Amino acid sequence: MLRTVREVFTFFFFLGKRSQKLKVFFLLSLLPVALAIVVRMTFMRRSSEVMSVFQEILMVYFLQFLIIILTLFYGTSVCSEEIEGKTLPYLTTRPLTKSGIIIGKFAAYTALSAVMVIVSLVASYLIMSFQRLGEAATYGALLRYTGVLILGLMAYTAMFTFLGTFLKKSILIGLVFGFGWETAIQYFPGSTQRFSVVHYLKSLLPYFSKGKFSLLMFRLEPTSPVLAVLVLLLITSGFLGLACLFFSLKEYMFED
Amino acid sequence: MATIREKGYTHWEGVLEERKLPWWPITRTGIQLAFRRKHFKFFFSVSFLPAVVFLVGIYISERIEDFKFMIQGSENFIKINPAFFKTYFTNDFLLFMMVTLLVFSGAGLISDDLKHNALQLYFSRPIGKKDYFLGKASVIFFFILALTLVPGLVLFFMKIVFSGNFKLLTEYPWLLLAIIGFSVLITVFFAFYTLLLSAISKNRRYVTILIFAIYVFSDAIYGILFGIFRSPYVALFSLKASFQQAGAIIFGQKLPYAYPGYLSFLVLFGICALSAAVLHRRIRGVEVIK
Amino acid sequence: MTAVIETRTLSKWYGNVLGLSDVSLSIEPGITGLLGPNGAGKSTFMKLLTGQLKPNIGSVSILGRRIWNDFGAFAKIGFCPESDAFYEEISGWEFLTGLLSFHGFSKAEVRARAEKALDIVDLTGDKDRRIRGYSRGMRQRIKFAQAIGHDPEIIILDEPLSGLDPLGKRKLIRLIKDFRDQGRTILVSSHVLPEIEAMTSRIILIHQGKILAQGDIHFVRDLIESHPHVISIKCDDARGLASKFVNEPYVLKLHFGPDGDTLVAETHKRDAFFGRLNQVVLESGLKVEEITSPDDNLQAVFDYLVGK
Repeated sequence: MLRTVREVFTFFFFLGKRSQKLKVFFLLSLLPVALAIVVRMTFMRRSSEVMSVFQEILMVYFLQFLIIILTLFYGTSVCSEEIEGKTLPYLTTRPLTKSGIIIGKFAAYTALSAVMVIVSLVASYLIMSFQRLGEAATYGALLRYTGVLILGLMAYTAMFTFLGTFLKKSILIGLVFGFGWETAIQYFPGSTQRFSVVHYLKSLLPYFSKGKFSLLMFRLEPTSPVLAVLVLLLITSGFLGLACLFFSLKEYMFED
Repeated sequence: MATIREKGYTHWEGVLEERKLPWWPITRTGIQLAFRRKHFKFFFSVSFLPAVVFLVGIYISERIEDFKFMIQGSENFIKINPAFFKTYFTNDFLLFMMVTLLVFSGAGLISDDLKHNALQLYFSRPIGKKDYFLGKASVIFFFILALTLVPGLVLFFMKIVFSGNFKLLTEYPWLLLAIIGFSVLITVFFAFYTLLLSAISKNRRYVTILIFAIYVFSDAIYGILFGIFRSPYVALFSLKASFQQAGAIIFGQKLPYAYPGYLSFLVLFGICALSAAVLHRRIRGVEVIK
Repeated sequence: MTAVIETRTLSKWYGNVLGLSDVSLSIEPGITGLLGPNGAGKSTFMKLLTGQLKPNIGSVSILGRRIWNDFGAFAKIGFCPESDAFYEEISGWEFLTGLLSFHGFSKAEVRARAEKALDIVDLTGDKDRRIRGYSRGMRQRIKFAQAIGHDPEIIILDEPLSGLDPLGKRKLIRLIKDFRDQGRTILVSSHVLPEIEAMTSRIILIHQGKILAQGDIHFVRDLIESHPHVISIKCDDARGLASKFVNEPYVLKLHFGPDGDTLVAETHKRDAFFGRLNQVVLESGLKVEEITSPDDNLQAVFDYLVGK
C-alpha cells in the first residue's frame, strides 16, 4: 500500500506540474501577493490595520475562494479525470491497490495545491507584516495561517475526491457546496455553523479586533482549536476512506 | 412495364442546395443536448422563479386594495415602472441562475468539440467559422433570452393587460426598447463569455469551474478592493456590478455606483472583443501541434 | 496443458442489456484470438478478464486467482486497452517509465525495461516527444509498449492492430508470435478476421454476448456439418474432372467457374474428396493449377455460425 501511494504520488505530482491548468491556478493564487503589495503601499505605517486587512480580506480570498476552486478541481480530478480521459485501465491493471491509487493521487494534488497556496500565503503575509519581521509572534501567526490552509486543502480535497468517486456530476454538487452552502451557513445561528468545513478553519485563525473589517469572522461562534483540528482531520480521513471504499467497489464505465 | 435496377451506388440527380441557415443544426443540437442533461430541466424551470414572482407583483399592483393587509406601507415597491424592470433584470438570483444554466448548456459547446477533434467534422461541411460561432452562440442566446427578453416582454404586456390601458406605454414609450436592449446586451455578453471559456480547454470540468469561478471571483475581488480602497471604480472588476450599472443607464435609473456608466459598457464590450479574438485564434479546422 | 485463464458461467449485464452470457472457457498458453463483430461482447469480456468490470454471475480467474480487486495478479498481466487514451502532456518515455515504476522496479530497471520496450516497438527515436504529437500508429505502439514493458506472463490485447499501417501490423504480428514462442499466453481480440488468421488458428468466436465456437479454426470448420465444404480446383480439363466425381455419394454439388477452367465442388466429406482427387489426378494425368477452399477461413466459419 505504501509503495503504491509513493509511486502514484510521484507520477501524478509530476503530471500535475506539467499541466497547463497549473499555470492558470498559480496565477490565480498569486493575486493575494499583488494585493498585499498594493495594500502595503496604501497603509504604509499602520501595521495593525494592515494585519486586519490581511486576515479579513486576503484570508477571505484564500479560505472562501482560492482553496475551494483548487480543491474542487483537483479533488474531483482524482477519479473523474481518469474516467473522462479513459486512462483508468492504466492504473487498475497494474499491481496497485485501489485505495493506494486514490490516496496517492489525493496526496499529489493536495501537495500541488499546497505549494501554490503556501507560496502565495507566505509572500503576501511577509509583505503585509514587513515591519514586524523581527518578532517571533509574526512567524507563529504565519505558521498558524499555513496550518489552517493546509488543513482546509486536505479536508476539501478529501470531500471532493469522495464526490468524484461517487457521482458523475461531482463538479456541480461541489460548486453548490463550496460557494453556496459554505457561504450561506455562516449566517445560521447556533450549532448549524458546525455543519461546514469553513467554520472549523475560521475557528483556528488568530482573532483580531473587529475594527473596520469583520467579513471573515462575521457571526462566528468558534469551536475550540483542538476540537476544530480533530474534526478537520476526521473529515479528511472519513471522506478519503469513503472514497477508497467506493473506488474499490464501484465499476466505472466509459462513455463511448 | 418492369425495370431491373442495377444494385450499387447511383449518382444523385437532384440539385444540391445550400441551407439558408447553415448554423441552425448546430444550435438545434446544442439545445437538445442541454435538455438531455440530468437536472437541467429542473434548473431551467427554477430560473423562471423571479419572472413568476414579478408577474405576481404586477398582478398585486393592479389589485392593491385586496392585498393592502399584506404589503402595509410597501406599496412603493410594487410600482410598475422602469425601476421595476431594472430590478428584475439585475436581481442576484436571476444572474446566478443564468450562470448556472451557462454551465449546463455552454461549458461543453466548444470544449467537447476540441476534446473529440470534431472541428474537422464541422469544417469539412459547407460551414464557415461564422456559422460555427453563430450556431454555438445561438444555444446561449436561446437560454438567456428565454430568461430575459421573453419574461421581460411578458411582464410588460401582462401589465398592460391587467391594467386595461396603455398607460405604461405612454408614460415610458422607450421601456420596450430598454427591455430588448438590456436583454440583448446581457445575452451577447454571456455568449461571448461562455464561448471564450469553453474554447480555452478541452476539459469540460475545468471550463465549468472557470465559468462559475470567474463570475464569483469578479465579485469577490470587487469586495476585497472596495474594503481596501473604498473607491467606487473598483466595481469595474465585478461583472454583476457592471450589469447593474449598465441596467441603470438603459432603464434610466440612478447609477448604483459612483462612476461614469459608460465604463461598464466598455468593460463588457472589452471582454466580448477579447473573446472574439481568442475564438478566432483557437477555432481552426486543423490542429497545430508544436 | 494447464489453463491460464478460466471462466465459469461468466455473465455481465449493463442494466437490462446483456453484455456477456454464460461464458465458460479455458485459455491455455499460446495465442488465442477472440473474434466477433462490433458489439459482440469482446471488450466486455476483456474488461472482465482485467478486473475493470465485476461479473454479475460466474467467475473469472487468471493463474488460479480471482481477478476482481486482486491487484497482485497484475504483476503478471499486461493489458493493451482499445481506447485511444493517454496522459497527453507527457512524452512516451515519461509515460512508459511512469507506468513501469508502478510495478516496484528500481529506477535503473525501469529505465532498462522502458528502453527495451521502446526498441521493440520502434519508438526509441520519438520517446521524448509528447504523446499528443504522436501519430495514430505511434500511439498504438506506445500502448503496446506499456503492456509488455514489465515482461508479463499473460498479455491481453484489445484490438492491438487498429490504426497500424500494413508494415506495422506485420511487425506486431511477428512480435506476438515471438511472445508465444517464449511460452506466454496472449489473448488478442479483433473484428478483422484475416488479422487473427495471420496470428493463430486457435480462436474463440463471440456474437451477441455468447460464445459460438472455440478451438482450432479447422476443427471448428469441420464441426459445421450443416454447411458443406466448398473446394475450388483449377485445371486443364474441368469437365473431365467433374465426370469423375459426379457419381461419388459425398459430392453434393458441382458447378463451373465463369472462366470454364475451374470446377467448384461442395462436399460434406472433405477427406474423402481429397483422397479421390489424388487418385483421379494420378490416373488421368490431369494438370491441376490451383486448389483452394474458399470457405475454409474464419469469415466463412463465422458467417455460418451466425447464420448469414
